[in-house]
Amino acid sequence: MPARPLVVLRRLSQIAWTAFFVYVLWSTTYPLTGGVSPNVLFAGDPLIVGISSIAGRLVVDYWWIALVFLVLTALLGRFFCGWVCPLGFCSDAAARLRPSRRRVFPPAAEWRPVKYAILALLVLAAVFGLQLAWVLDPIVIAARFVSLNLIPAIVTSTDRAFAWAIPRFGWYGAPLDFYRWLKGGLLGVNAHLFGHSIVIFAVFALIVLAAAIARRFWCRVLCPLGALYALAARRPFLRRVVRGCSECGTCHDVCRMAAIAEGERYDPAECILCLDCVYDCPVSGTAFSFTRPVPATAGAVVAVSADAETAPSHSGTVTRGQFLELVAGAAAALGPGRSLASVLAPGTPTAPEPAEPIRPPGALPEARFVDRCIRCGNCMKVCVTNVLQPCVTEGGWEGVWTPRLVPEAGYCEYHCTLCGQVCPVRAIEPLAEERKQKVRIGLAWFDHALCIPWAGDRECIVCQEHCPVPEKAIKLETVVVRGKRIKRPRVDAKLCIGCGICTFKCPVRPRRAVTVYTEAQWHRVDAAESL
Amino acid sequence: MKTALDRLEGVLQGRGVSRRTFLARCARAAAASSLALPAARALAEPPEAGPREGAGAKGKHDLVVAKGSDPGAITRKAIEAMGGMRRFVKPGAVVVVKPNMAWDRVPEQAGNTNPAVMAALVALCLEAGAKRVNVFDRPCNDRKRVYDRSGIKAAVEEKGAKVYFVDDWNAVKAKFASESPMAGWPLFRDAVECDTLINVPVLKHHDLTELTLSMKNLMGVCLGDRGEIHGGIGAKLADLTAFLKPDLTVIDAFRVLTAHGPSGGDLKDVAARKTVIVGTDFVLADAFAADFAGVSPANVPYIAEASTRGYGSADLKGARIRSLGG
Repeated sequence: MPARPLVVLRRLSQIAWTAFFVYVLWSTTYPLTGGVSPNVLFAGDPLIVGISSIAGRLVVDYWWIALVFLVLTALLGRFFCGWVCPLGFCSDAAARLRPSRRRVFPPAAEWRPVKYAILALLVLAAVFGLQLAWVLDPIVIAARFVSLNLIPAIVTSTDRAFAWAIPRFGWYGAPLDFYRWLKGGLLGVNAHLFGHSIVIFAVFALIVLAAAIARRFWCRVLCPLGALYALAARRPFLRRVVRGCSECGTCHDVCRMAAIAEGERYDPAECILCLDCVYDCPVSGTAFSFTRPVPATAGAVVAVSADAETAPSHSGTVTRGQFLELVAGAAAALGPGRSLASVLAPGTPTAPEPAEPIRPPGALPEARFVDRCIRCGNCMKVCVTNVLQPCVTEGGWEGVWTPRLVPEAGYCEYHCTLCGQVCPVRAIEPLAEERKQKVRIGLAWFDHALCIPWAGDRECIVCQEHCPVPEKAIKLETVVVRGKRIKRPRVDAKLCIGCGICTFKCPVRPRRAVTVYTEAQWHRVDAAESL
Repeated sequence: MKTALDRLEGVLQGRGVSRRTFLARCARAAAASSLALPAARALAEPPEAGPREGAGAKGKHDLVVAKGSDPGAITRKAIEAMGGMRRFVKPGAVVVVKPNMAWDRVPEQAGNTNPAVMAALVALCLEAGAKRVNVFDRPCNDRKRVYDRSGIKAAVEEKGAKVYFVDDWNAVKAKFASESPMAGWPLFRDAVECDTLINVPVLKHHDLTELTLSMKNLMGVCLGDRGEIHGGIGAKLADLTAFLKPDLTVIDAFRVLTAHGPSGGDLKDVAARKTVIVGTDFVLADAFAADFAGVSPANVPYIAEASTRGYGSADLKGARIRSLGG
């Protein structure tokens, strides 16, 4: 038996839940046969479910999973934070890089109420119809990191590694077959690249690095989901009991959540059931057992932790060298984020930005969309062509990181309806294929100064060739230019649905000759051009 | 069991190595992976390759045109009438059967080659003793959706073919003996280095070239930005096909797309012609198919160019054509 069997079990639980989390997101790709809908990951998050329901006045699919977690928390304590949460797992893993488990950054104890303030703010905003859970919910932060940073980095770097090694060493036999088998299966997530992903990565990295400096900093001070679970865990049935306490203060030093005052006095709302105190107790007097709940002693914990004698000094911080190693390791191993310009072909500036972003088919009207969207990244992850990219400012400040179509990066596949199927809060409605094909998300616009047959006398019409609308939303007019009969494309505004494949396939660089505007903007531009 | 669990616990508690060792390992891994990234970016320039050496086999007839209600069966009959697949596939050969598998469409929409025709060809190649039959294309729509919904992947894998996606980096640059607008174009290596190449287009209307036939089908082995090929497409496709020298051209005219090609979508645009056309001269096969579709071969740019350049004959009157069925 290991010396700390329950701690081993807890770590295995954390690994398993995190692996499950990554597995579900990894299989969020065509044809969605992972067995578990990615919506379930967020339906199990009571903060997302609660805030979305209040703000959006709706019922989230699978909401009862969140209720199960809340009820279990009321019975057992904050087990989610210690045994399940992927961000908690990453925080604990980051803290592993520190030598000692005993150091806790002093001011954090006083800052613990901050997370309750954040939670209160979220609830208040939700009552007024504003959904802000997406900013600080840990599951959503973890999901964005996995979908928009981690998986693309793994897939891209593995693909590039083979692409470099196979011709370099002439491995055209079994290794090439193996690479192709990977591409048809595990690696077949279409190596998505996302603009602005470095900021998304930075948020995740900051939280994890903070945990390396002060253990579980995010969980103790900032996490609104932790605050919600803390409120639920105030009087659990599973409690920490101490017998024969020698008042050595070891448990107080060891507790990563600063939840223990001393001996028996601990705050169950802060305890995440890591069970370190059980095994570190020199008299083996600490245990967790099912007893009748007693009132919490939260006030005493805060007062004692603020005591100057027990607060460690500056020696708890990480050295500069270690910090740089961490940063280098994280950046190199997980892949750099990219600006949108580098996602597109080098030297491809996008068209002059449309006034409004193009939203996926089935999306709620703009104002409600940016409010409902929790920026989980599911739709961007599942999109088969990589056309969905996170907004930076295109949707205004309220639209940061909501998905929009960037036709220079991809297009909306005509027969695909996956994005609506993986939106946990129905900011994108799931549409049947026939209905989706009739939804207009934008209109194509030709720049006659750039378009090859319009500007010169050469043939092209790659755009029309790819138009998926059966009757063709791009019509051709034949003209004679310098003795040659060539065909020129023209948009049929009654048929075009704005999928953007014409823009995507247009060979003109650095700016495409055809671009997609929202319907409203298209008519404005059309009216201006006709003057 | 006990020691394994203890060791696991030790690892999980970070007791396996000292902090210094652990951090040193992190730094080394980071350094190694950060070196790999720039190295991977500088992928090697693809090597040049001359024209593919075809088997050069001749069939019993110039063209065989088979009509019937079972697409797989009429394909078999047409190949038998040509002299059997053994004329074109030697034992131990690596064969590429190149369909039109470019569009996210189901077989009834006639956007891609008929899966039953493909399955029959793959089976015939393996019966003739081929070591390996490769099937691939470089689709215009999302490749996983296209491979699934076209029905071709499932149909040919069942017969034993190897189906995979084109590797964008795995190219050879086409080196022509004389000047060509396609000189230096990156082509997918597997299509150039095979022993036998069977080109299996589906007959479709196309707004740029009137029809898409066998020469247009070989755009699927071109890497790079294919939009550039559209300028002066006739000469480019003619040269491309001559470079690749398909040993056999099988034109699927079982269901044809009569309008709004090459992607189509509307079932009203699909006509059931229930025919398969087989030939060794790709110019002649395309010319016959054009005529079959009611289009003058001279109006199809790549047929005109290929005929002018002498890559084959477009003379339908002088050709020995064997008709089967119907």
